[in-house]
Amino acid sequence: MTSVPPYSPQRRLALSAALLPALLSITGVRAAEPLPPALRIAAVSRTGPSGKTLFAGSSALVAEQGWLAAELGKLGVKLEWVPVTTNSVAVQVNEAFANRSIDFAQYGDLPSIIANASGLRTQLVVPGGSMNNTYLVVPANSNARSIKDLKGKKIALHRGRPWEFPFARLLAANGMTQKDVRILNLNPQAGASAVASGSADAFFTLSDAFLLEDKKVGKIIWSSKQAPQDWKMRAELWGDSAFLEKHPQLAQLVATAYVKAHQSVVGANGRENYIRHEVAAGQSRALVEREWEGDATNWNARWAPLFTPELRAHYAAGAAYAQQARLIGRPLDTSRLYAPQFVEQALAQLKLQNLWASR
Amino acid sequence: MKSLANGAGALLRGLLLPALLLLAWQWASGRGASAAYVFVPLEQLWTGAGQLIADGTLALHVGASLERALTGLVCGALLGVATGTLMAQSRVAERLIGPLYHSIRQVPLLGLVPLIALWAGSGEFAKLLIIGIAAFYPTVLNTFEGMRQVDLRYREVGAMLTLTRGQMFRRVLLPAALPAIITGVTHAQVFAWLACLGGELLFAAAPGIGSLLLVSEQTGRMDVVLLSVLVISLLALALNLGFTRAARLLVRGRSA
Amino acid sequence: MNPGVLSAGSRGLGLAEQARMVVQPGRPEAATPTPVRAARPQARRGLVARWLDWRFSSWTSPLLVLAMWIAVTQLALAPEQILVPPWQVLVSGWELVQSGELGEHVSVSLVRLVSGFGFGSVAGIAFGLLVGLSPRLDDYTAPTFQVLRQIPSVALIPLFILIFGIGETFKVAIVAKASFFVVALAVHEAVKSLPARYLEVAAVLRFSRLQVIRRVVLPAIVPDTLTGVRIALGRSWMVLVGAELLAAENGLGQMMEMGRQMFRLDVVMVGVVLTGLVGLALDRGFRLLEAYLMRWQRR
Repeated sequence: MTSVPPYSPQRRLALSAALLPALLSITGVRAAEPLPPALRIAAVSRTGPSGKTLFAGSSALVAEQGWLAAELGKLGVKLEWVPVTTNSVAVQVNEAFANRSIDFAQYGDLPSIIANASGLRTQLVVPGGSMNNTYLVVPANSNARSIKDLKGKKIALHRGRPWEFPFARLLAANGMTQKDVRILNLNPQAGASAVASGSADAFFTLSDAFLLEDKKVGKIIWSSKQAPQDWKMRAELWGDSAFLEKHPQLAQLVATAYVKAHQSVVGANGRENYIRHEVAAGQSRALVEREWEGDATNWNARWAPLFTPELRAHYAAGAAYAQQARLIGRPLDTSRLYAPQFVEQALAQLKLQNLWASR
Repeated sequence: MKSLANGAGALLRGLLLPALLLLAWQWASGRGASAAYVFVPLEQLWTGAGQLIADGTLALHVGASLERALTGLVCGALLGVATGTLMAQSRVAERLIGPLYHSIRQVPLLGLVPLIALWAGSGEFAKLLIIGIAAFYPTVLNTFEGMRQVDLRYREVGAMLTLTRGQMFRRVLLPAALPAIITGVTHAQVFAWLACLGGELLFAAAPGIGSLLLVSEQTGRMDVVLLSVLVISLLALALNLGFTRAARLLVRGRSA
Repeated sequence: MNPGVLSAGSRGLGLAEQARMVVQPGRPEAATPTPVRAARPQARRGLVARWLDWRFSSWTSPLLVLAMWIAVTQLALAPEQILVPPWQVLVSGWELVQSGELGEHVSVSLVRLVSGFGFGSVAGIAFGLLVGLSPRLDDYTAPTFQVLRQIPSVALIPLFILIFGIGETFKVAIVAKASFFVVALAVHEAVKSLPARYLEVAAVLRFSRLQVIRRVVLPAIVPDTLTGVRIALGRSWMVLVGAELLAAENGLGQMMEMGRQMFRLDVVMVGVVLTGLVGLALDRGFRLLEAYLMRWQRR
């Protein structure tokens, strides 16, 4: 094969073709960003009895309403729901954000802090959710009445999960530090076994604590129901920052859909409907109702998709805790974690500004 | 006649220990709530089992797991046979692939899960990938050694008959190495089943017996947990027996 | 099939030598390792052949993979969170060593492994012997053994915690369970495949039962037992790391899991590399032990 001379016409054409996009971007003429073929949202899910994948939380409502899928369909974008297991939501979602296989995720506060601290760029798009309570369980025959009685004892807690933060607040509120207790890093199933057999003195977890009470192997001595709303575990809608920048109109559709879901949840029969979804996804009705019984935070307030000062304080405190607990290496500036413009637009569009007027 | 009685006698004797264990189990489950948490009473296990079978849950999950495991096994084993053959035929391939194979083999598969999750996501593909890798290792090794140990005399005969490389492979090497390959696949099946289980426990939610185990743990249905564990063991046993029998049938009549 | 050939790979003999052994069956040690090229006068002296003869050619592909890894991270073809640069792994590894964390995790894991493996293999050998020598006992225990053997260790964790409590015991128990079944099976098969001739000779010499065991059975099953024990060691290491991923406060598996939770892939990689190295060291170390113990077979 004879070699092509350096500046033959073919070469020049190829070079210019290669340089054209660069020239265009320099001059600011940007080709319109083509829409992606699919928009992917990750949400916690379980396999239902007939093999269908059923989602938990407000994602179930958004999926059911079908509005988002229809709107995206009009633009030629497919809506894809990506299931994640309850057991390892944080790792699966963060890994999925890292390898660009999802654009949005509904998951917890601490994992989002960890993700951003490690260099991933995600932002909070729609705050608010059912907010999980946390519980402190001790063996049924234990004499401990409060966390203070557990000084120096062994407490089972799964490190790195979002409820580590409420636990730290509980300790701090009682004048204790992590050094005052012995933390056993066990996943929830192992932790439950440990407290059932009495080999751990306490177990800190979500509403699966009720299961231990029902089996009469444990008793709940503290719950976050009466604690400030701040202490509850938050699971909200986060989006990949790059996606938010490139396709704001799609992000707006997603935000509007979730705000609509929140609206229906606080509306008539909303709570009943929500419970129905949770039960369909595998939770027992009794458990779901006990989770909210006697809770100080009102139903409406949980679902308020507002970027209040309390929200910002929650995340700032969370980031500070994460750094102090050496879950993250560098301090995280939480002020750039928020993308409130989508919710503001959604509320204006749906004329819901007064539904969650700040107190 | 005598061997039939012996066979029946052996079976009865074999059932004694499980019966004793079940009795011990029932006794343990009566020892208070804490014990009953894990030593679920037998009646509860029985009704739980009935429920699972009746509403089709068990069939659904078992079917999904078997499909996943066998798909991964087939892919991994085929790739393993291909690689093993390549390594046996070409010293260059062996020198290049061998060290990589031996070093990665030492890492427990579960340790590779985070890496696979990052590079291949957490979905069905990742699970099949991990099953494929688990099946790949034993198959490669057995194929390679099987091919290598083909009696030199056979190869000389082949050379004498001036067979082409392809004919040599098809007519001489492959049949002679087949017993080793089949042994490899049998080993691979064991690891593939374990990897399938691990994948279902560690990757995203989807139908499967491992997922059933996980979900029932989370919802505190200890009876379903125990039943899942039992089903997993029985399936493993069945697969193992099935493959060993099939292997014996295929290899019967060949002189080792 | 010449058994010597099967173990030739594990004895580190090269493939040329193994091929020789096939040609002269029954006399494995008659093979003197003469280079294959002496039989083929027209040897290739091209680049490939020279590379093949190079002593360090085995290092080529690992080094190539390492080079590709470095190249991909330098060119930033993948986000940093997905593909951690190799020097980052080294740096994190070094930091972990300095803070003493790595040493602590590795030693804790090894202690668990050794204790669990010790119990399990000793019990396995004893059980395998008993069951192999007594068909009656075999009848009683076989079905239970087969079913229990298949129970995945991962699923046993909650049950074991309930029985043994939280602490080192249940982890040691899980490792013991894994090694017990592998070793017991290997010993059982070894005893079963004892050539009848040996037992006949023992009967002719009127050995007592104990003597039969001590002087005939035990020495004869050593090779297969050692292989079974080596496989059990590898399996136990995998099972331990798996168990630590799910339910431990320290140990290599837990370090990897925490790394994953904190999204520190460099920590996970350090764990992966170290797990592999320990596994490799255990395997090689054991092969050396095997070779030493079986040296009588070479005479």
